[in-house]
Amino acid sequence: MPVLNFTVNGVPRTVHLEEGRVMLSSVLRDSLGLTGTKVGCGTGQCGSCTVVLNGRAVTSCTTPAEKCEGADVLTIEALAEGGVLHPIQQAFVDAGAIQCGFCTPGLIMRLYALLTVNPDATDDILAEEINKHLCRCTGYEAILAAARLARERMKK
Amino acid sequence: MTLQHVGKSVPRVDAVKKATGEACFVADITLPRMLRAKVVRAGIPHGKILSIDTSAAEAMPGVKKVVTGQGCSMLFGTCLWDQPPLAVDKVRHAGEAVAVVLAETENQAEAAAKAVKAEYEKLPFVLDPVEAAAPGAPLIHEKNGSYRRVEYSVHPVPGTNIFHHYKLRKGESEKGFADADVTVEGEFEFPISSQAPIEPHGAICRFSADGSMEIWASNQAPFVLRDVLADMFTIPASKVRVHIPYLGGGFGGKSDVSIEPLVAYAASFVPGYAVKLVLTRKEVFTSALVGRGMKGRMKIGAKKDGTFTALKAEMYFADGAYGDTGWPVDTVAGHNCTGPYEFPHVTVDVYGTYTNSPIVGAYRGYGHPEGQLMSGRLIDRLARKLGMTPGEIMRKNFLSEGRQNALGQVIKKSHGDLPGCLAAVEKALDETPLPKNDDRFLYGRGIASMMKSPKMAANAASTCTVQVNADGSAFVNLSGIEMGQGVQTVFAQMAAEALQIPMEKVKSYPDVDTQFSPWEWQTVASMQTYRGGRAIQDACGQIIDIARETAAKVWNCSPSLVAYRNGECVHPNTGETLSLGRLARGFMAPDGLTIGAPLGATGWYRVPGIVEPDPETGMGNAAGSWTFGSQGCTLRVDRQTGEVKILHFASAFDVGKAVNPATARGQVTGGVVQGMGAALMEKILFTDDGVAKNVNFPAYKIPRLKDAPEKQTVVLLETPNPEGPWSAKPMAEHPIVAVAPVILNALRDATGVEFTTLPVTPDIILEALGAKEAR
Repeated sequence: MPVLNFTVNGVPRTVHLEEGRVMLSSVLRDSLGLTGTKVGCGTGQCGSCTVVLNGRAVTSCTTPAEKCEGADVLTIEALAEGGVLHPIQQAFVDAGAIQCGFCTPGLIMRLYALLTVNPDATDDILAEEINKHLCRCTGYEAILAAARLARERMKK
Repeated sequence: MTLQHVGKSVPRVDAVKKATGEACFVADITLPRMLRAKVVRAGIPHGKILSIDTSAAEAMPGVKKVVTGQGCSMLFGTCLWDQPPLAVDKVRHAGEAVAVVLAETENQAEAAAKAVKAEYEKLPFVLDPVEAAAPGAPLIHEKNGSYRRVEYSVHPVPGTNIFHHYKLRKGESEKGFADADVTVEGEFEFPISSQAPIEPHGAICRFSADGSMEIWASNQAPFVLRDVLADMFTIPASKVRVHIPYLGGGFGGKSDVSIEPLVAYAASFVPGYAVKLVLTRKEVFTSALVGRGMKGRMKIGAKKDGTFTALKAEMYFADGAYGDTGWPVDTVAGHNCTGPYEFPHVTVDVYGTYTNSPIVGAYRGYGHPEGQLMSGRLIDRLARKLGMTPGEIMRKNFLSEGRQNALGQVIKKSHGDLPGCLAAVEKALDETPLPKNDDRFLYGRGIASMMKSPKMAANAASTCTVQVNADGSAFVNLSGIEMGQGVQTVFAQMAAEALQIPMEKVKSYPDVDTQFSPWEWQTVASMQTYRGGRAIQDACGQIIDIARETAAKVWNCSPSLVAYRNGECVHPNTGETLSLGRLARGFMAPDGLTIGAPLGATGWYRVPGIVEPDPETGMGNAAGSWTFGSQGCTLRVDRQTGEVKILHFASAFDVGKAVNPATARGQVTGGVVQGMGAALMEKILFTDDGVAKNVNFPAYKIPRLKDAPEKQTVVLLETPNPEGPWSAKPMAEHPIVAVAPVILNALRDATGVEFTTLPVTPDIILEALGAKEAR
């Protein structure tokens, strides 16, 4: 059985991978119990499974697990350390950007990857990143508002 | 008294859990001794099953069991029992289940599923509902007409593929058309599309050796599901326990039942094991429930001044391989295809047909967008024919106090202010003048009005239990499913309002468990705020009455003299108070002697007086609430690419009372974008072999941020409505109803082309513009 050694949310992990095609999303969800990462389409189109891999937002449902050897992965579970919401999470709550909540963790992780590196991301860049995600509930208006609010708060 | 909680945009009570990833959806649940299921699908639209060889699959690593339909005599349903849990002797659509592999891991199940070999004798198939209804069409159900059914609801035509014919006859439409100075008519198509909640459907089922079963499911209708499973397995409903976690969107596609009977049937072969199935996105398109699928024609007659004289419509629904979830859509489409207007004479025939395609079920506003696409477009056409504005025609014919809808129901003032909605939309759009066409863009504006009057079982009700704790906090439980619409938040707001306590003290629990949660018909038809809210008022009213009775005993006075305010009973003379917390377990004196009942109550509400429509006329008191609205947009069309950009979309609904204006706005902005997807992007396509082909994103396009309107205006009117809790009305599905006619009317304004078939994609627009120039 192949073995994967990597770091998840700051903790070194060793996971035995099942034979066959195993994606990062199923390692996180099934092996490590980190079910905050959602799978909506399995083809990297909806963005719900987005996590941060070595500082970049990736769709974990299309990222083969064996490619993650030695990698540093951050999931939604890492953001609210000690029960205090990250400013992006708080912005989603405050801006009314959450309805069913299934797409929310992926969106938050993508904005985390963006705003921690580029705190001055323009509205166009925010829109470009959100455009990689599907949300069927909100019509996106409040999600864009949340992203702007998060950008503003993270500068403080 | 000033409202403290209702009418306030309080933050959603579920938002923090959803922002942290803590909120639990069905795919997140793992049970002990759990097997993973993978389904083998037919792959052909219609065929006799000759053989299914499972031996190779059964020998593969980790495989516990392979279940087929062989020997299965079960049919399940709620009103029409026509569907087995998986195909028995023939397959009726390409996504139908023919075998289920149960293995230790998902990969093992998937590998083994590929090793199942099924052989078929192909049969001729039919996808088009008009063809399906015609004589000589391949017969999909030989037993159509003899299946068990609720006879006053479902009206099959034996020997055909028509499993439901709903007819509406108000007045004499021939006379109405004879009185008309002008008529308009057209043919329309609203294709099969996917509700496409981002969470795929899932279920986990476990049978116990003691004869009971439990199921965890992404489902909007836990008690319907419970009763269907109990009926299917002939066990008492009390031994079926249904759990519903958070739903990652539903939009109707998770109502009634879809994949659960299949999972339960498979699980019944391995008692003691939990069986988990989570659909792939492809399976959500092919094998859960889809929506719409209507082909229709409509004719409207009017006097020269725009007054309607008659309406005639025919609609054919491609309801797919099985009919239990389609027939109510068909009936509702008939009820509501007039839109929010009075027609003295109405003739409507709706045919629900079996077709070799995925099963149609509820999809946001079901029946309403399909029918009102036709009336919404025809009014636009009539206006030009009469040299009037669409708004003038609408105002002439709006349902208003004393007027009669197509079912013969008389409209009251409290049902809503349509002229007010229309004026609000016109005002919003008029704030920016329509740009002039230029070399690159054509600009247009469109408008339509809508109504929604939900179909529900005549006995549909909500119940609510409230229990007060010794610290004065309260549990408020209903079985309204939280699927994104924000029902938990408005429940908490309404309970806090009714008990006059802070919202922080109220907990409305999102998980529904049919063993403990109070009975509810189902979370459909936008009824939770309205019907659930009345149940909350009833339960909280009882709590307050019990508290006042106990306080009166303590104070030795009549309960009628005890006032209640801000969570406390108040002594009539001294002003002394007793809080809900002090009375929660009855009142305990210093020596421990306790009097009075504990503070717990069950409240309920049923929309009164609902009956099934008369089988001959289709009329009657079959709808119990109305919400009216108007919508309009300004858009531009790129002459080179055919792409449409909506510059401004304005919506106004008379919601009676917006319990939470922020979440209400969210329903509108989301519904508009979902409706825009239907108008411009979404359609399930089939290969020549009858297999759905664009069955994942992005082959099936749903709107992304950059597709959404540049600006949305949302106006919520609040006409007092004594039937609603604090005046509130249903409003969640409504924002989708008129979007397609609005956009198509605006496209007509921009291009001069009468589009009648959805979706109007850039290719279609370019072709139409080219054809126009060629003329």
